Parts: sequence; C-alpha cells; structure tokens
Amino acid sequence: MSKTKTNKSEIEGLKGQIQKGKGVDIGTMFVKCAHKESGEIVFRSQRNAFFGVEHTDFTKKILDNSRVKYIIKGDNLYVVGDEALQFANMFNKDTRRPLSKGVISPTEKEALPIVELLIKSVVGEPTHKGEIVYFSIPGEPLDADFNVIYHIKMVEGFLKTLGYAPKPINEAHAIILSELAEEDFTGMGLSFGGGMVNVCLSFMSVPIFKFSVAKSGDWIDQQVAMAVDETASRVSSIKESSLDLSKEGDLSKIESALSIYYNHLIEYVIESIKQEFAKARRLPKIPKPISIILSGGTSLPKGFSGRFKQILDRLKLPIPVGSVRMASQPLRSVAKGALVAASADESKR
Amino acid sequence: MVGLSGTEADIINCVARLKLAKKDQIRRQVGFSLEYIGYVCRDLIRRRYLGFSKGHYFLAKDGIKTLLSEETPKVDRKLLKALAGEVTRQISGELKRIVKGIKIPVSVREIRKERGFEPSEEGIKIKTDFDLPVEDESLTLETNIDRVGTRMEKEKSDDMDKTVRLLKELHKPKGNGLASHSQSHKPRGRKR
Repeated sequence: MSKTKTNKSEIEGLKGQIQKGKGVDIGTMFVKCAHKESGEIVFRSQRNAFFGVEHTDFTKKILDNSRVKYIIKGDNLYVVGDEALQFANMFNKDTRRPLSKGVISPTEKEALPIVELLIKSVVGEPTHKGEIVYFSIPGEPLDADFNVIYHIKMVEGFLKTLGYAPKPINEAHAIILSELAEEDFTGMGLSFGGGMVNVCLSFMSVPIFKFSVAKSGDWIDQQVAMAVDETASRVSSIKESSLDLSKEGDLSKIESALSIYYNHLIEYVIESIKQEFAKARRLPKIPKPISIILSGGTSLPKGFSGRFKQILDRLKLPIPVGSVRMASQPLRSVAKGALVAASADESKR
Repeated sequence: MVGLSGTEADIINCVARLKLAKKDQIRRQVGFSLEYIGYVCRDLIRRRYLGFSKGHYFLAKDGIKTLLSEETPKVDRKLLKALAGEVTRQISGELKRIVKGIKIPVSVREIRKERGFEPSEEGIKIKTDFDLPVEDESLTLETNIDRVGTRMEKEKSDDMDKTVRLLKELHKPKGNGLASHSQSHKPRGRKR
C-alpha cells in the first residue's frame, strides 16, 4: 500500500472518531471551542484581544517569522491573541477588546469582523451540515443597562452562516453541566469571567435563576489601575501570573489593591445572589446542601476559593451550602458544559 | 455622601462598640486580613467616618452622624425590623383614627390580591424569532491565524460520557434539548 493511501485511510479513520457536537465558550477574555475526538476532549482557544501596530511589510514579516498572530484590515495591522497583551505591556498601553462585559463591544468599531474571525478559527468547519453547537451566553445583567439579545442573535447568525445549528446556553448553566453530574446537576455555578460574573442556580439540570453582574476581572483591573496609577493591561498580567489571595503580608502595592478589589467583587456577587433568592417566589425544595462551583479566569489566583468561602461564611445564603469548590478546569468548564449539552442533543438525533 | 458597604458598616459598628479600637481588634471582630482592614479604615478616615490617633481608631463626625441618623449601616437587622414595624403600626393606627373606614393597604401586591388580580409569575415571553442573516465580515480580513494555529489542549473524556448519559436520562421524556431551558426560569421536576 502506498504511503499516500495509508495517510488517507488514517485520516478517514480519525474523521470517524470525531464525535458530533461542539461547545463554544464565547467569553470577554477567551473564545474556546471543545469537541470530542478519539476518547479525548480537544479544546482550541484564542485570546479575545488585539493591539494595533505600525503596518509595514517589515513588521508583517517579523510577525510572520516569530509566529505572532495578526489581522490586517485596510491600512491597519493588529496583533491578536496572547501576544496582543505582551505588545500592550511593552508600549505601556491597553489592548483593544472585541467583547466588552460579555457581549460584542458596542464601542469597538472593529469588534464584529475580529470576533467572527476568532470564533471561526477555533470552531472550524462543521463535521456535517447542521452540526449542533452550543455557544455560551451571559445572563441578563442586574446592574447594567443593556441586554444580551443583539449579541445572541449576531453569534447565532454567524454560526449558522458557517453551517452549524447553533443553540445558546447560559455560561453558568454550562458549568453545572460540566461539574455537577454526581449531584444530579443540582447546585450553583459561578463563572468569574473577564467582563462579567455569571450565576446560575440549577435543580436537576434546570435553571431556577440565572443572572450576571457587569463587574468582574476587567473591573478589578481598571479599579486597581486607577488606584495605583498603572495600566489595566499590566495589572491584568500581574493578576494572571503571580497573585496569591491567601497571602496575608508582604504584598506589593498592586497585590494589596488587587486583594482589596477581589474582596469587594466577591461580597458584591454574594449580596446579588441573596437578592435573587429574595426575589424568587418559587424555589424547589432541595433535599441536601448545594454545592457551589467557582470557575472562570478571574477565579484562577491562588486562594480565591478560600477567600470566597470566608466571605460566604460571613454573609450566608438563605439555603444550606455544602461544598464550595473550584471547577476541575476553571478555564475549560464552560466549553466542556456546552459540549455536554451538544453531545446529548446530537445523540438523540 | 457615598453609601457604606457591608464591611465598612461592620467596621464603624465595631469602632462604635469599642470607642477606641486597634486595627487588630477590628480584624478579630470583622474578619479579613490586617492589610484589608487597614485599607478600609484609611478610606473611612479619608471620608471622615473615622479618626486615628496613637494607634487607635475612633468615630469621626460622619461616622457618628451615620450611627445617629443619616445612614443605616448593616447593624442588628432584627432590631431595625422591629423598630420599623412599630413605627408602621403607630402611623397606621394614627391614620385609621383620622380617616375612619378607609383601609390602608400595605403593598401594591395586597391591592392586587384584594381585587382578585395576581400578577403573572413569568414576564412576557417573546415567541417570534427573527432569523438574522449575518454576513461573514471576517472574509475581508487578511490574517496568518490559520498558519500559526490556535492554542490546543486535551483531556480524557471518560467522565464526560457518563455525564452525557446522566443528562440524557434526565431529559428523556422531553427530548427538546437544553436550549429550551436557556430562556426559561420554570423549575421542573425530574422525569424518568
């Protein structure tokens, strides 16, 4: 058998092992797609950020040689992905973001084509026409004067253009599907993302309430940046690389400020959950204490779950809480939960 | 005047109780790290709720004012509720004496109940759908993303198969997929 033929049959074999259905997490910080292939879940991701640099053939060549991702639109050259953050830090400026507070940024004129490109790069082509893809959406924000309908319709329309059958799923609900199977999908999922914190209380996989607050990682970065006179991008780099919320002493100025604003954010989220409980007229009787799953990029610093538990112990929720724990993979749980939903739907076909 | 957060109110209450309080004493009663307590206290000093002298915090002008009248820090909620209830009863009784025969409903919900009108539990649901044709605007962009590739990670999917099976079990009778829940707030029981 010739080598080409072997390769062809191997590829055909592999194609057969790719299971139908995909899950996409469209977050303010990252776009991440999950699909199942040969007994593994494969995650492809792109950082949702870009940074404008001088557009010359020389710059383009250097970026190509260094394998730095870029996008050219008209006369503008944008570095995209993780490198955008590095460039922004180098120039002591902030990155530009196609998504803001969980939805397509209304103030960023390049938002739509760039977010489409990033989604396309991680989702790829459907394995068959009409493949089900669940994409994450934020809950309606409690504290901001906008809704998410336009964002949902734009993403849905774009995924249809690519040949998928898209279905939206609440981001925090996806976390429950990913992490709480052992507890019959009953409990609370909290996604501390870049632009928003999303919350969902679920009973037997059905959301009882879900909402978002328009404060999260970006808000912390901006507040700290203002407090210590730094750029938000630099604060974000420190937050992502070295922040330890369990540390009590010997904190730098930025770390102290980050610690303070983390406290404010957690307290704010817990108080918002309490308000939602107060508003909910019908709550199912949940027989045992619920588990709370913490997830998302803003929950990554060491000591985050400890800090959350400490504040929760003081503020208390109106229902008994069992364990409070981090998602097994905080940056993947939304995409994985969306994939669970897509796989369940695909297997019913 | 800017409102007080729960922690700030706790600190003011603590200082009010102790009259002169060290940072560590506040930390022991309120919780959190010394750094955080120090930060919040410094902010409260700047906003004139607290004063500081010889290692001790004490109530400043606005702190005292807050406790006396202007704001209601998160103190003894039971006592506050009891006081509010007492005041309501007194005012209600007074009004009833003045305007005999006129019933004073407590809330809009009670008015509706009296008139046999219970507001719908759910908000208005939009049933129509606008299928938005979205053009692929990214086709106008030049990029090297395809050549450089995306970041890829993998994990074993053994647990996931079990999760999908459990989820399918839960949703067997309906079979509409989970998207039907994504806009719904109605809790439903387990149907096997």
